[in-house]
Amino acid sequence: MANNTGNEKASRGVVDILVVGAGASGAAVAAWLSEAGFSIVCLEQGYWQDPSKYASASPDYEFEMITNWSIDPNVRQRDEDYPINVSESPVTPVMFNGVGGSTILWSAHTPRFHPSDFRVKTLDGVADDWPLTYYELEEYYDLNDEVMGCSGIAGDPANPPRSPRQMPPLPIGSDGMKLVNAFEKLGWHWWPSDSYINTQRYGEGRDACNFCGHNHMGCYQRAKSSTDLTYWPRALRNSVELKTGARVRRITTDSSGRATGADYVDSKGGEQHQAARAVIMAANGIGTPRLLLNSATGSHPDGLANSSGLVGKNLMFHPFAMVTGVFAEKMNTWRGPLSNFAMSQEFYETDKSRGFVRGYTYQFQRSLGPAWVARGGFTDPVPWGKGHHAELEKRLGSMMGIAVIGEDLPEHHNTVDLDPELTDSDGIPAPRIRYRVSKNSRDQLDHAIENARKVFETAGAIDIFVDPMMRQSGWHLMGTARMGDDPARSVVDRWGQSHDVDNLFIVDGSVFVTSAAVNPTPTIQALALRTADYIVANRSDLKA
Amino acid sequence: MTDTDVNEDVLSAMLDRLIPAVDGLPPAGQMGLAPDVIRLAGHQKRFWGLFSGAMESFVLQNPSFVALDDDEQDEAIRSFEADSPVHFGVLLDIGYIVYYKEPAVHERIGWDGRPPQPDGNVMTPWDESVLENIRKRAPFWRAV
Repeated sequence: MANNTGNEKASRGVVDILVVGAGASGAAVAAWLSEAGFSIVCLEQGYWQDPSKYASASPDYEFEMITNWSIDPNVRQRDEDYPINVSESPVTPVMFNGVGGSTILWSAHTPRFHPSDFRVKTLDGVADDWPLTYYELEEYYDLNDEVMGCSGIAGDPANPPRSPRQMPPLPIGSDGMKLVNAFEKLGWHWWPSDSYINTQRYGEGRDACNFCGHNHMGCYQRAKSSTDLTYWPRALRNSVELKTGARVRRITTDSSGRATGADYVDSKGGEQHQAARAVIMAANGIGTPRLLLNSATGSHPDGLANSSGLVGKNLMFHPFAMVTGVFAEKMNTWRGPLSNFAMSQEFYETDKSRGFVRGYTYQFQRSLGPAWVARGGFTDPVPWGKGHHAELEKRLGSMMGIAVIGEDLPEHHNTVDLDPELTDSDGIPAPRIRYRVSKNSRDQLDHAIENARKVFETAGAIDIFVDPMMRQSGWHLMGTARMGDDPARSVVDRWGQSHDVDNLFIVDGSVFVTSAAVNPTPTIQALALRTADYIVANRSDLKA
Repeated sequence: MTDTDVNEDVLSAMLDRLIPAVDGLPPAGQMGLAPDVIRLAGHQKRFWGLFSGAMESFVLQNPSFVALDDDEQDEAIRSFEADSPVHFGVLLDIGYIVYYKEPAVHERIGWDGRPPQPDGNVMTPWDESVLENIRKRAPFWRAV
């Protein structure tokens, strides 16, 4: 256990706010606090990305997709990535470490939580209610949409009314209409997705999408929103200092247990310290508990902010299933964003006759090019040898998918802790994931798979493939430092402030009480903006 | 293992069986793709380790693979696939990736062969008429 009280290696003066992590939430909170005049340093272990060098413009892009630009840090293995022990998890966490964080590689599918998602205990008797409501967060969703740029259209009958989107939706296309028509024949809901993908010029130097299909490899066109292109320019204009290649070793505390800053390793391997009046954790649902646990001291023996014992507990992923149909028609299904032009929330809310609680979202999918198809993207690999060519030709340009995102309920035994042996390249203990898919989640997925089969049968698919649970799918990292009003049952309060350490805040997906059945990033960013507003209004003590 | 240690003859013969001739195109090995496979596999240290390990393992198990007839080669590959699925998957992945980079293959399957960027594709305009039916549905979100 390190005694990190005090530090004599201060490399810079005391700033008001230290933000750890420059991704979706770190960028949002830094930008918003900087508008109010706080002095801010952000430490980011990765680096800026140059969109003109994204691998989607390389002739070797299919190789890069499974190596240097993999979504899985254990596969990508860049210097700035940290290893994650996933030997006890059927789901592999995926993320990107760099300015923009995982918004560099995300699909940018941006649905919101439903009002019911904040009240699952009251409505369905499971998990816990959030200490806030949808309506308290709504203005921050709107604010975030404006900064990130949302394409979509209001009027979805599955969701509350909302403000006009900044841009029209991504077009459905003739391929998408195959699925839409089938959903309508079955009498099931569908709606164009909210996406942080430009359908026209929007934001600073950001073009409209050119339908390349590979938004999971970084957006060369700058059409897909990522926080290096949205919040960070604003933050930097307000004099936020963003230090890249800065890997935090621990959050430091004083003799009273309050946060004093962070020790970090700079890009040259030098040990540094950044002092601050407050620390905001924005390192994602794995990185944040890892750092809090690595910050144990005599006054915080189980890790910082962990008197509840809940740091690292209740990890939620959204177990992810995929059903893919092959159609007889050639539809050039590699054209357009892979993952998010439309969705269905027909089965979103609890119907106990189904045998499980809560529900799921269907996310409509396209497919990619020939090597991806041959390797079995979303399906089994195309067989080698005799029959290879005929099968490849059958699938190429003819496959559409339906991804299932089911609500993952919090369970104490699903955890992030410190691996007893594994470390990153700077010797910092690495995280270990222990995760099991619950029966409720499995029942949700099975129900969703059977209904997706009905969709493809109705649509006239000639082949249907099912992946009952994708392994490399842990995009959504939630719940490992949850919020609540009771310090014994939560890590942070309704504003993201630690119950134990009054100048420590958390703004990433760690604070989620439940996971809903949607992609979490707009909710993460809305919460970060709300925390920033709280600090501005109530914590003038943190400003010099 | 370095790139010069990878048995190119075995790799080439294996590629022939994985991706056979079609429509006047020779099988993948006879297209001369083995050196490209080796070169590309070296573009990431982790992948190179998996690839070279897979090749080493396959050659150890099948020292006379090149001399086998087609059926025997297929059987050897099937055995390797069953016994070493991870290693086999690495060889299949890189074989497919390199094969589907070839202009002659693109021409045959009608694929334009460009990387996704910078040109991309044409985004069709948004057509609001697709919402005609679903707009008739009453709101059904769960109010709280």
